[in-house]
Amino acid sequence: MITIAYWLVLSSLLFAIGAYGVLTRKNAIVVLMSIEIMLNAANINFVAFSSFHNTLHGVPDPSGQVFALFSIAIAAAEVAVGLAILLVVYRRYQTIDVDKINILRW
Amino acid sequence: MSSKWPRRLAIIAFVLLLVGVMLQVDWPNHGIDENAPTNEDVSKTLFGEKGDNLSGYGLVMFFIGILLLVALLGGIFLAKEEEK
Repeated sequence: MITIAYWLVLSSLLFAIGAYGVLTRKNAIVVLMSIEIMLNAANINFVAFSSFHNTLHGVPDPSGQVFALFSIAIAAAEVAVGLAILLVVYRRYQTIDVDKINILRW
Repeated sequence: MSSKWPRRLAIIAFVLLLVGVMLQVDWPNHGIDENAPTNEDVSKTLFGEKGDNLSGYGLVMFFIGILLLVALLGGIFLAKEEEK
């Protein structure tokens, strides 16, 4: 039987994998993918707590799943703008190595 | 290569902290029951109950639509070819 602790552990493992990717990788696209993994970990937490709300508090509450939908939409907008920014950075500097992009000006 | 180990150790410590704190809590020891929200409940929360104009997240959906449109336009503006 799957209790809520399993989902929370899965979510924290996913978050840690994403954080590790953000900290260690040099390729900016991989960093963006790692950020998406961290967002998905937060979404799993939302859905898990919403699904188990009746078990935990005795009242069903689907708000968490609605908020997960909002979060997915925000993640879509974020990745669109992020990829466009990476495209501009690559045109400008011929690299997307995050260690080499260290001046925050044009 | 050696500079990766502090980050790895930091992440492992972070995971141990998170999982340890989570397992400290006395979570209820049973799975999802039959009253867990279904897709119907999610849609009712999202768009409101019938006859109740004030419930639901319609306005938030509207603003998220605007946000996605702005992100689309911004992405196109950033990514379009520069004219020489």
